[in-house]
Amino acid sequence: MELRRLPIGRRTMLRQSAAGFGLLGLRSLLAAEAPAGPLAPKPPHFEPRVKRVIFLFMHGGPSSIDTFDPKPRLYQDNGKPVPFKRGLTFGEDSVRGLMKPLWDFKQYGQSGIPVSSLFPNVAECADDLCLIRSMVGDGVDHGAALLQLHTGMFQFKRPSMGSWVLYGLGTENQNLPGFITIKPSLGHGGANNWASSFLPGEYQGTAIGNSGMKVEEIEKEPVPWLTAKGISTDHQRYELEMLQSMNRAHAERNEHDPELEARIQALELAFRMQVKAPEAFDVNSESEATKKLYGLDNEVTRDFGWQCLLARRLSERDVRFVQCSHSYKWDQHVELFKLHTKNAAEVDKPIAGLLKDLKARGLMKDTLVIWGGEFGRTPWAQNADGRDHNPYGYTIWMAGAGVKPGFIYGATDEFGYHAVENRMHIHDFHATVLHMLGLEHTKLTYRYAGRDFRLTDVAGTVHKGIFA
Amino acid sequence: MRSFVVVLVAALPLCASPADELFEKKVRPLFVAKCSGCHNSKTKMGGLDLGSAEGLSHAAGAGIVQPKDAEASRLYQALTWTGKLKMPPTGKLPDDELAAVRTWIDEGGEFPKASSAKAPALDAGKQHWAFQPRKNVQPPAVKNAAWVKTPVDRFILAKLEDKGLQPAPPADKLSLLRRVTFDLTGLPPTVEEINQFLSDKSPDAYARVIDRLLASPRYGERWGRHWLDVARYADSTGMDEDNLYPHAWRYRDYVIDAFQRDLPYNEFLKQQLAGDLLAASTTEERNRNLIATGFLAIGPRPLAQQDRLQMIYDVVDEQIDTVSKSLLGITIACARCHDHKFDPILTKDYYSLASIFASTTTFRNHGRPGSISYMYYAPLDQAAYDRYSRHRMQMLAKQLEMEDALSEDLGRENAALRPRIPELLQSAWKVIHSGEAAPNKDVERWVKWLKSADEKARGSYLKPFFTATPETIAEVAKQYGDDYAKSAAKWDDRLEKWRSRFAREALEDRGLPERPKSDADEEPFFTAATFNGGPMELPESARVQLLRKEWKQFEESLGPEPPLASAVCDGPVIDQRVFVRGDLHNPGEPVDKGFPVVLAGEKKPEIKGSGRLQLAEWLTSPEHPLTSRVMVNRIWQWHFGDALVRTPNNWGTTGEKPTHPELLDYLANEFIARGWSIKAMHRLILLSNTYQMSSKGSREADPGNRLWTRFNRNRLSVEQIRDSMLAFDGSLDTTIGGTLLVEGKGKRQKIDLEELTRRSVYMPVRRGSIPSLFATFDFGDATTSSEGRTRTNVAPQALFIRNSKFVRERAAGIVKKLSDDPQIGTDADRVRRAYMLILNRPADPSEVDKALSYIASVEQQFGTTEGKGSGWTSFVHVLLSTNEFLYLN
Repeated sequence: MELRRLPIGRRTMLRQSAAGFGLLGLRSLLAAEAPAGPLAPKPPHFEPRVKRVIFLFMHGGPSSIDTFDPKPRLYQDNGKPVPFKRGLTFGEDSVRGLMKPLWDFKQYGQSGIPVSSLFPNVAECADDLCLIRSMVGDGVDHGAALLQLHTGMFQFKRPSMGSWVLYGLGTENQNLPGFITIKPSLGHGGANNWASSFLPGEYQGTAIGNSGMKVEEIEKEPVPWLTAKGISTDHQRYELEMLQSMNRAHAERNEHDPELEARIQALELAFRMQVKAPEAFDVNSESEATKKLYGLDNEVTRDFGWQCLLARRLSERDVRFVQCSHSYKWDQHVELFKLHTKNAAEVDKPIAGLLKDLKARGLMKDTLVIWGGEFGRTPWAQNADGRDHNPYGYTIWMAGAGVKPGFIYGATDEFGYHAVENRMHIHDFHATVLHMLGLEHTKLTYRYAGRDFRLTDVAGTVHKGIFA
Repeated sequence: MRSFVVVLVAALPLCASPADELFEKKVRPLFVAKCSGCHNSKTKMGGLDLGSAEGLSHAAGAGIVQPKDAEASRLYQALTWTGKLKMPPTGKLPDDELAAVRTWIDEGGEFPKASSAKAPALDAGKQHWAFQPRKNVQPPAVKNAAWVKTPVDRFILAKLEDKGLQPAPPADKLSLLRRVTFDLTGLPPTVEEINQFLSDKSPDAYARVIDRLLASPRYGERWGRHWLDVARYADSTGMDEDNLYPHAWRYRDYVIDAFQRDLPYNEFLKQQLAGDLLAASTTEERNRNLIATGFLAIGPRPLAQQDRLQMIYDVVDEQIDTVSKSLLGITIACARCHDHKFDPILTKDYYSLASIFASTTTFRNHGRPGSISYMYYAPLDQAAYDRYSRHRMQMLAKQLEMEDALSEDLGRENAALRPRIPELLQSAWKVIHSGEAAPNKDVERWVKWLKSADEKARGSYLKPFFTATPETIAEVAKQYGDDYAKSAAKWDDRLEKWRSRFAREALEDRGLPERPKSDADEEPFFTAATFNGGPMELPESARVQLLRKEWKQFEESLGPEPPLASAVCDGPVIDQRVFVRGDLHNPGEPVDKGFPVVLAGEKKPEIKGSGRLQLAEWLTSPEHPLTSRVMVNRIWQWHFGDALVRTPNNWGTTGEKPTHPELLDYLANEFIARGWSIKAMHRLILLSNTYQMSSKGSREADPGNRLWTRFNRNRLSVEQIRDSMLAFDGSLDTTIGGTLLVEGKGKRQKIDLEELTRRSVYMPVRRGSIPSLFATFDFGDATTSSEGRTRTNVAPQALFIRNSKFVRERAAGIVKKLSDDPQIGTDADRVRRAYMLILNRPADPSEVDKALSYIASVEQQFGTTEGKGSGWTSFVHVLLSTNEFLYLN
């Protein structure tokens, strides 16, 4: 059957995917292998280092010089006026003198990676970390910085990194969304940070609750409309069979229009998802020991621990891209000491728990964990006891397959302000992550409005120096 | 500066070839950042210009680069400081930048050819079909003249006959009624409307249906929504802060009303672009014109952008993008950094337009560093607004006066008491432990408060007090005193800061900071002792009480804010220059305000003020080649699901050509001849046989339906789905206009599409959190002018239809309606009525039987647990889930 020519490729794709599905029965489909379609697994461009990503996003911008990038010079010059030219900052009218790190650093593990006392548990995993101390972005305010980190651009609306990955690789589990963001913030770009933009809608991220919701509330229905209310699964199945018989008769009367067939298939898929997905979200079924490992037994660490544990469950089930958000916490223009202490306490144990658990379960061999914020913070004080935004040189870290463990890459200047060595712009970061997934960033393109677009726009260099 | 350059390069996208990429990515940015301060097109130090395309192409010829040999290149020698000439003189480049230059030279050292950044030559560009004047076309002759109902059919049929194809047979009466009713009103026909149409055997029955639908208030809501997609309408700023546009709904209502009244399209455009500059004879007209300019105002806005100049030009860019895509069908914003790659649009053209929008005000003011900017709103009742503002200023002044007095009087007393805390606590401890009477009122207050402390307080911040012994109480009391003094000092400081910020922002008419609250978690003792009946909470002085009363009086008599509109107005007239490569800090040659040369010619128009009015007049002149065509193309698209030009926002060289160019011109000519009336176009199209064809029939000869051999089968839009389900069970609230945003709730207000019952077009839409239902069903993101809704078929849509409370409730509501109807006697009749209501057709006898046995079977299997009637609800839910309901034939 010839397909209607459409202005945008997505519909063609949908129709093709749908061809021939209308006659398959529900029960056979429930048992069926993943169907072909826009979300079917696709071969990467080359041998990948990792199959999936967990991104632990610290919204607000944790201070690198207080966590993973110690600067002796700042102790020496504590309180002195800023001796270099400052870039555009956020709070231009509240700039004070240089401020030394407020926490002590110690070296950990074989690698001797220095970590501040903010992260005692993560520090124990120092030999698994690959620090990148030379991140650079262009956004000075949160909105711009979040959008660039998630989509590569902030002046224009573009697809999210997770959407690009899903578009490039598809997903191996058709019963779960392939790109999931847990408790994201609705601010600073909100849904634009996980939207598929001009990529077909199948690739948009699925938000599990949002940062304003409590875990209990989210657990009731992690994905919108995932559970039928008031009727049993048996009843639902019976109802679906009636519906599909009517739909098939209707398709019969309408030349088996591929679009009608595609919706028949979507109904089957939805039902499968509804039956299979709740189990994936059932964090409570984990053992007490595991829950404890992630800090679910402690009020302070419970929220982020739940996110990390859910991320592991989803990764285990081959969800391609999972993001956890500690949101929106890390923006300490004032009260850096008090609030960074509180923030770190909330995430330190869960993150360490996740790293240990992934390792123990053998998932570390094909999963990449990324930790970081939208920017770092300035070496000078703001409002006496805070720090301003610094996108010019900050630290993120990665762990897991594909990266050198116990390794430090790149460097900032002696004040921790500008990245000076192996600068990794966000475009480079995207190119590098795609590369680890087996995707060449210049080839992962999508034609839209008469032009090929990509995650890295016209930039991006793969930093092979971090590869194991 | 540095970040800026990176941004620029990132934004340059549209266009670099792979060979130029290293240069564009690494070398050009560093030339711009480090060299073009002196080596630019004006100063040209050493005869070198590294800042412009022309300069670079000249530099290529000047031999400063030895291709494939960096070491031998003068440029590289200067940069490495190896020779006499050391560049840049301010400091050697970092190694990575040097390495980039080296690699670039070693790999060829080619400067990008100036031609690679040039638009297609203007003369050639002018030949592009879309820029040609409209032709005066006559409907062609056809063999089968009997098929022709309106001239539209001649264009379609002529081409079909030419290819030896047959048009599809006419749609049956019921399908046609369903199609046209959903099309014009977004809702299905009611059972009564169906019966009426079926019994009307007159030849103009269908024409009368069209008249009825066009007069229905549901029409404006449906067709206004189409325009709102084009106008990227939303109720918030999106981008970083996603703050609400509390007045945007007035623009939405304006659009709905304009369609309802059939406001001529040329007037509609003029009002949206320059309503504030149009003469008006009544206040109502003036306000309507002001509200219309919301079109330019309600786009996505980066409120927290700290580089204010950048922000202003980003907004200008957004306005150019919206206006050019939506009204002209060209992507002019591509020309911000370089001449358009594919279309004959020059950077100069871009800045001629930018000059117009840069001279237009969209922000009221820009906050201090670290805060956000505020949008401009136009008062719709100036006198009332002035009164309101004065009153509000007086109120704020009074509040400040009260706060000052409060801090002076109370603060002084509180401060005087602070050093006495250890002494008072010690006494109180004695009183509590001995049972003696308190020696004075001050101690008595403490005793009373301490005695009434709850378990939680006694277990936490009061624990030291209650566990103190005669030996330790002195020390414990001293600790409390110190603790209080520290917290109080912090509190005084916070309050002071707040007061001064409040005063400043009140004066500058910005968002007011909230009065700080003491943090009970952080400062439990101080907070409990100082507020809510604590012993340090002192009675207000008479002076403060009086001021508070006066302030409250102002507050009570303030009244609601007089109506405002999201709008624009003329600002200071800017003499715009081209920004070289889009860099605001690199102004090039000056440009006059005006319109793209390829369309308007070299001669610049005579401009007054911002020039928006002249822009509107140019766009709506009957000779304009694009405006009318672009709109009739959209009208066609909204009727048929696909447009004649299938890239409705891109008529440039990368866009698609029209399927029927003559028809396009014919429709555009008719549009203008009929006074730009959209309703006239509806009649012309809807009465055609082309519109009345069946959607059935073979696809083989015309898979993309580019010849219009049949009607497109289209899925209902999310609004059509939601609204018709609400209509079925009678819960649709058909109130017209107004806002559902609750004042004061701001971003915290939850908009629950599954609870609300107004039509979907009235649901507020925040760009940062598009409601799940909309997002799932291809509503789009309201970020740029929409080319039309995409139609996906994803599992989450099925989850909504099958599992949402909303659909199940509608099913139950429909069942109730059917069983309450005394006209319906039997179960079989009930099934037949459900078919008629939801699928708009009679049920076959076999379908009735199947339904009845299904209902019985569900009741039998699940009725005991789910209650009586579960079979009916289940069956109706099935009908609501069918493809037959969700698709229009």
